[in-house]
Amino acid sequence: MIAFPLTTVTPPARPRPALAHSAGLVWTLVRTDFKVRYHGTVAGFLWALLKPFTMFAVLMGVFSFVFASDPHYKINLIVALFLWDFFAEATKVGLTSLYAKAYLLTKARFPSWILVVASTSNAVITLCVFSGVIVTFLALSGRPPSLGALGWFVVYLAQYFLMVVGFSLATSVLFLRYRDLNQVWEVVSQAGFFVAPIIYPLEILPERFHFYLYLWPPTAVIQFSRMVLVDGVVPSARAHLFLLGVTAVMLAAGVLIFKRHAPRAAEYL
Amino acid sequence: MAIVSLRGVTKSFRIPSVRRETVREHVFGLLNPRRFEELRVLDGVDLDVRAGETLGIMGRNGSGKSTLLKLVSGIYQPDRGTVRIAAAVTPVLELGVGWNPDLNAVDNIFLIGSVMGLSLAEIRSSIEEILAFADLERFANLELRHYSSGMAARLAYSVAFKAVREILVLDEIFAVGDAGFRARCHQRYRELSAAGHTVILVSHEPYTIATFCHRAVLLEGGRIAMDDGPERVSEAYLRLLGGTAPAVPAPAVPAPAVPAPA
Repeated sequence: MIAFPLTTVTPPARPRPALAHSAGLVWTLVRTDFKVRYHGTVAGFLWALLKPFTMFAVLMGVFSFVFASDPHYKINLIVALFLWDFFAEATKVGLTSLYAKAYLLTKARFPSWILVVASTSNAVITLCVFSGVIVTFLALSGRPPSLGALGWFVVYLAQYFLMVVGFSLATSVLFLRYRDLNQVWEVVSQAGFFVAPIIYPLEILPERFHFYLYLWPPTAVIQFSRMVLVDGVVPSARAHLFLLGVTAVMLAAGVLIFKRHAPRAAEYL
Repeated sequence: MAIVSLRGVTKSFRIPSVRRETVREHVFGLLNPRRFEELRVLDGVDLDVRAGETLGIMGRNGSGKSTLLKLVSGIYQPDRGTVRIAAAVTPVLELGVGWNPDLNAVDNIFLIGSVMGLSLAEIRSSIEEILAFADLERFANLELRHYSSGMAARLAYSVAFKAVREILVLDEIFAVGDAGFRARCHQRYRELSAAGHTVILVSHEPYTIATFCHRAVLLEGGRIAMDDGPERVSEAYLRLLGGTAPAVPAPAVPAPAVPAPA
């Protein structure tokens, strides 16, 4: 008789509710991604935060002289930088998310959108930490944002996240067919850093160009966040509708493209 | 009632004369249209599998066996026809379920187990059992990049055998591991079958098909050339290969009873 360690044999069971399954899968993906990226340590995570902070130190060192007349330049710069860092990082990882998890995709059937959404988790964690740091910094410098301002800021972050999800859903399936899409995006993203008003105040450009700059999604999120957090001004209803429209279009386009191509994703791996 | 039902399933792969995989190649290739060669892998397959039944699939390399399993597992979509699956499928394809080489065995079990539909609580309570089945307890904290292919495949089978909810789909079952591991797989497989699970397995081994299956089909050129008892199909498969029939050794255990249609 062979020693046999298995004692339980499950009889056929109905599949568990999709939501419970998805939640467990999302948590496992987030946990293992964090572990692989930061070796599972807080020190590893803090090390990763060094990149945007170094960027901030360098840019501040150079441009605070250029824009010396703007008293809010430093705080505006750091708000924009961490918002930009989230966008750049999450879209970069999201674009290759299905390809990176090909080993799961070709071997079992499960809702593959979970891989795309979970891929942004590291960027989301960093965004949350930065948001806490910024709000604490503002409070310590004697200008704590009001509850209303914080509420609006959270709404902008939620919309920002949904835009990134929309982008990632679309590009993750397209990347399987167009394998240089990540290089194309890298170039666009590099140019986009200067299109968004990160290192310069939007006001230095003629107003007739503003609309075009706002078509680049991070612009509106950066500007509106600065307004509520730093200036204590809430953007107009029209501005909010615009942001909502951009979010809805990006998410809807992402979902449509993903639904069209995802069923055959495994055939392109 | 059939738990797996395929009707007129056709699956082709378009092989381009020139492969274009980048935006650059697509843009520069706009003026230079490509020709496509269509490789029809499955051609109008009709197949029913009843609940609790074990179906063996035999066929030569390139006959469409793996594509059929991927369609049943929901990983591929058919070009034409319908694939109706009435229960959850746990596939073990291409000698393993895929691993993240940077994670250790325990984290990989969590990852694959949750992809296969196990809850976190179920995984936590069966980690030791899964490692013991694969005989890998000592290597639980070793990253998968340091595993041999045999160790990784053993772990894959072990997770899948634990995760199976209703239908188990196996490609080249029992082709890995030493005699002890294969014996554990056989025993586990019999327990699953006795508990009422439906199994679809691909094998080139007449012995495996004859021992474990209620019924078998022979795939040839993307069509089902024969749908019969496992021993007759095994013999036909050997004849197809040019071997002499009958070459199926007597099963070590009595052939399983075919479940009554539900």
